[in-house]
Amino acid sequence: MTKNMLMAFLLLALPALSPAESQWILEQGTLTYHVSHPLHQTDGVSHAARGKGTCHAGQCDFLIAVPVKSFDSGDSNRDLHMLQVTRGAEFPMVTVRTRLPESSSTSATFSADLEIQFAGQTAQYKQVPFKLETRDGATRITGTIPATLSDFKIDPPSLLTMPVKNEIPVRVEMTWRPQ
Amino acid sequence: MKTRATQFALSVGVAMLVLLISARLQAQVGGAALSGTVTGPSGAGVPNAKISVKNLTNDQSADTQTDAAGHYILPNLPRGDYEVSISADGFASKVSRATLTGATTLTMDAALEAPQAQSQTPGDNLPNAPSSSRTEPSLQDLGFPATETQADAKKQALLDKRTHMLKIHQRMGLITTVPLIATVIASMGAGGRDTSSASRDLHVALGGLTGDLYAITAYYAIRAPRVPGTETRGPIRFHKAMAWIHGPGMILTPILGAMAFDQKSNGQKVHGIASAHGPVAIVTAGAFGAALLSVSVKF
Repeated sequence: MTKNMLMAFLLLALPALSPAESQWILEQGTLTYHVSHPLHQTDGVSHAARGKGTCHAGQCDFLIAVPVKSFDSGDSNRDLHMLQVTRGAEFPMVTVRTRLPESSSTSATFSADLEIQFAGQTAQYKQVPFKLETRDGATRITGTIPATLSDFKIDPPSLLTMPVKNEIPVRVEMTWRPQ
Repeated sequence: MKTRATQFALSVGVAMLVLLISARLQAQVGGAALSGTVTGPSGAGVPNAKISVKNLTNDQSADTQTDAAGHYILPNLPRGDYEVSISADGFASKVSRATLTGATTLTMDAALEAPQAQSQTPGDNLPNAPSSSRTEPSLQDLGFPATETQADAKKQALLDKRTHMLKIHQRMGLITTVPLIATVIASMGAGGRDTSSASRDLHVALGGLTGDLYAITAYYAIRAPRVPGTETRGPIRFHKAMAWIHGPGMILTPILGAMAFDQKSNGQKVHGIASAHGPVAIVTAGAFGAALLSVSVKF
């Protein structure tokens, strides 16, 4: 009888003893791309990012996604053109995946390897630096992804026959909260 | 004999119907495709590399091999999140993730590296690369509405056509600027007390060319398809507003110009409504220039 009770206790206690799986939810995310043209500079902003992180055995897998059409550059014609050149109707989402050690959340800076799917292409960015600040239980992460148009095989759009620069750095500002 | 022929025709008909239905069903089930090129460290295509994909929702797998140039394609994949494994003799294997969002082809190229001494687990080529574990969040976990994540090939075609037409509109607008400026310059010798018919003829010829080029420019802007649900915002609003000035102006200017030309050719001083030719032309050219600048320079 005692043996059976001990067995039952052990079986019940096992899941509690295994490493707990925790989650992070993206509370607020702003992504801003910057485009340079000989005649002017443009920023396109999206506040529509959603994200989730799941942690297991000290490692966290993060996924952040944002609809391509949600980027607003302040001009509807330019946004529609951006949607066209990036094939945003065929590939409506930009997704960013990364894997980080759980301990990253306690440091002030960290570097992440990112896998980005955009415009029907996948590009990897190694060791992208990010700043991290924890306040009121939420973690604010800021950084810039050094993206280029050629990474995603996008032909540089042109205005008055002058093409934009290949570099389109994407500024990331995110607030994550553990669940 | 007749019965046999009827039976044969009936059998062929049924067989064709079955083929047609099965092809239709296959087209409905499939849709998305994954394609790309597998290259080695030298950049050359890797032939006979094995590409395996596993749907992370239902564990269904599919695989294929690259051709002699390193190209591969996996057609008819249902939408969802996939684990993509690429392996080839003499190279380190590579595992990535891909999300297929609809009836489109996702391009995933892979550069395989030379094998390392230690055995590699998925993602080892990057210190903290995305893992292939089943605990990873998927796009479905983020709760986006289906309308935002689904591919829309028709809309893409509409956007492509729109951009194509507006590119021509932009180029033609730039080309039109040249004879427009030349017409304005030529007008200085065509009006006033000048009685030279050569100056007037040059002004008329340049004006005619400007009008023709302007008509082509306007055609590509007017006929470019509209994208439903798009609100006009930003400098493009001013650009469009200017069209309501230079558009009628480009019609009115040559009419008034023709009247002025007749009066001048008859030795008369330009009078009446024809005397508005100059001011109308200036306003029209000004509006055209402002429209051009509004989309070119950020104020």
